[in-house]
Amino acid sequence: MKFRNRLLAACAATAFIWPMAARAAGTLTLAQVQDPASYDPIDTFLLAWGQIGTSIFDGLVQRGADMQLKPALATSWEMLDNNMRIRFKLRDGVTFQNGEKFDADAVKFTFDRLLGPDGAKGPQQSNYTAISAVNVIDPLMVDIVLKRPDPVMLTKLAGYGAVIVPPKYLSRVGHAEFAIHPIGTGSFKVVDYQPKVSITLDAYPAYWGGAPKLDHVIFRFIAEPDTEVAELQAGRIDIAINVPISLTGTIAKDPKLFVASVPGPTVTVLRFNTANGVTKDERVRKAMIMGVDRTAIIKSILQGNGTEVASFQGSLSFGYDPAQKPLPFDPAKARALLKEAGIAAGTPVQIDFRGNDATFREVAQATAGYLSAIGLKAGVKPYEQNLFTNDIIPNGKTAEMFQFGWGGWTFDYDNTAYLMYHSGEHWNPYDKDPALDKMLEDQRSITDRDTREKALQAIAHYVADHTLELPLYNINTIYGVNKRVKNLTPPADNRFLLNDVTVE
Amino acid sequence: MLGFLIRRVLQAAFVVLVVTLLVAWAVRLSGDPAVMLTQGAGSVTAKDLANIRTGLGLDRPFSAQYLGFLGGMLTGDMGRSFIGGTSVGLLIRHALPLTILLAVVSLALSIAASIPLGIHAAVKRGGTADQVIRILSLVGLSFPNFWLGLMLVLIFGINLGWLPPSGAGEVSGIVMPAATLAIILTATNVRLVRSTMLDTLSQQYIMVARSKGLKQRVVLYRHALRNCAIPLVTYIGLQFGGLIGGVVVVERVFNWPGMGSLAFDAVSSRDYPVLQAVVTVLAALIVTVNLAVDVAYGLLDPRIRSE
Repeated sequence: MKFRNRLLAACAATAFIWPMAARAAGTLTLAQVQDPASYDPIDTFLLAWGQIGTSIFDGLVQRGADMQLKPALATSWEMLDNNMRIRFKLRDGVTFQNGEKFDADAVKFTFDRLLGPDGAKGPQQSNYTAISAVNVIDPLMVDIVLKRPDPVMLTKLAGYGAVIVPPKYLSRVGHAEFAIHPIGTGSFKVVDYQPKVSITLDAYPAYWGGAPKLDHVIFRFIAEPDTEVAELQAGRIDIAINVPISLTGTIAKDPKLFVASVPGPTVTVLRFNTANGVTKDERVRKAMIMGVDRTAIIKSILQGNGTEVASFQGSLSFGYDPAQKPLPFDPAKARALLKEAGIAAGTPVQIDFRGNDATFREVAQATAGYLSAIGLKAGVKPYEQNLFTNDIIPNGKTAEMFQFGWGGWTFDYDNTAYLMYHSGEHWNPYDKDPALDKMLEDQRSITDRDTREKALQAIAHYVADHTLELPLYNINTIYGVNKRVKNLTPPADNRFLLNDVTVE
Repeated sequence: MLGFLIRRVLQAAFVVLVVTLLVAWAVRLSGDPAVMLTQGAGSVTAKDLANIRTGLGLDRPFSAQYLGFLGGMLTGDMGRSFIGGTSVGLLIRHALPLTILLAVVSLALSIAASIPLGIHAAVKRGGTADQVIRILSLVGLSFPNFWLGLMLVLIFGINLGWLPPSGAGEVSGIVMPAATLAIILTATNVRLVRSTMLDTLSQQYIMVARSKGLKQRVVLYRHALRNCAIPLVTYIGLQFGGLIGGVVVVERVFNWPGMGSLAFDAVSSRDYPVLQAVVTVLAALIVTVNLAVDVAYGLLDPRIRSE
């Protein structure tokens, strides 16, 4: 008996080693679903990279938690040559975390690398191909020259491929080493990296924006949401990311924790097969939209963690029109439309979706239920995610409806609309509409902000009028947070700005 | 014995070779890694995708890719992961010891528990202890391992706070994943020990040993157990393969950064180099263990050695 007590005490003592470390003064521990494996900005488009990389690197501009652009490594900028040249005045006295000086040469090096053969091997280059050259004017001034207008360029300079890397260090250590020991100008620097386990950052006291208030930030890679939430409950991590809706109740009930649910970039819709079958008929598509109570789905299945949308974008998106309203839920009208289109009762339709998405499985089942109520024989079919996104959708092998979630970190409707609706795009297997193609192409060369916003809104209205999709919701990004974390603004885009965060 | 060994090693090598071909073929059946890598990117053109495929070596014919992988495995260069370009050799060097540790600890725990329990049940056949052990083993057999894992996390990780819910960062981190695997292994092993023991105990030499006045302990552990060893070792050796399968799920639940977690991530991101290497290494491991079991027969039973 005595022995057993001692054994328990020993177990308990060991078990407390890590929690104590995680709760040490000034250490914030976050869980992250995936290890991006390379921290080189040209290598990846993973959200995980965006989340961690934001603390390590800076761009010329920065986007705050309010999604507005503000100065970062550039203190000011002006648009020249009819928006074909952007002149940046750079911040003086900035150093990389290894002491290397930041200047115009670093900016040129970064973009030459991104747009050259190194960048061509990664997924980032394609987003910056509008840039033709970066010219150094003096050590604290650069011009970014464009070969075609790109109204989203300034936003894209705030992250991912466009963050500034140190030329001397990178040339010395090479890509493979830089990928695991990255150096930037950001507020935290990498001090320890265990592949697939964790990455530890320390405050960079000489940060140009002022020394961070935290001493250490640890990202632990935890793939399974249940495990992540268990770690949060055990007090071993402070922030759990991408918490599934089914686990929010567990967190909310815990007095030490709270749930932060903010509108995210991802909008989910059910797209139609507009080329074949019954959904080729616009009236049928309209009936199917009006037959589904989207408000009820958000309220009951998403438990309120989402907002209804009228187009394939959320309220933070550039191109969002607050005046645009979704088609109302009206089953009687829906039945009348089906009758008008000559659709017999019991006509089968199928909803294809990603099988590993537990929340959407319920949404698909509810939608099928609503469609059955207006006289269709609706079924659901889950697919393995990779097969679904790489084969079934691009090759046009879907049934009448298929799940699609999209939304880029730039929060610009072009990023969704062009890829979804322009003829021949990878994700657009069915729609071919020259009028819509032209609208999509034209807005890309409009640099006046207001004119372009109107053009994007017109596209959203056009798509809704032609019922190309059943708009569902803009789903929230849900975080589980320990109450000891202070001054945290939960970001919509997952890119935490940790400079002012403190822990008790 | 030597001829037997050579034959078995050649067979084993052939099995591993077939596995490499199967996995390299199967992993390419669906999905495009270039598309996976660019998911979330703005506008990706067909040319961008082609560039990335060339960069990853995916534009080469299957035979060239397969032979490249095979050659790499033989020379110890397992290539680089599609995700971030990490060396696959490095990933496996981190993950393999952790998986072997987990498998060995859970197997050892299970043997340590199932031998005394099984013997006890056999000796007290039909008694209360026997009934209880048999019912418990049936319960253990019916647990799905991920569910059992989650329950342990809930009880010991969260409610009691005795053990870390996940990770291999501290020594106590192994307790729950190993216990999860061990509980399920013990459930089958206990039945096996019990039934082989029942057979053995009815043999005449046990009666002789008893009539010589030997202590119960000596009869059971020195005479009976030694003669149970062959079926037990065979079964436990075979179990090792199944154990590695179970490890994938349990590693995932406990965020244990071993081969199972590596394989799981590689499947979902179509990371061919990692998946091929992980499956090959695990296949080689399982085949080696089975080979060792064959050799162990000889050591345990002189009659086989002399054949």
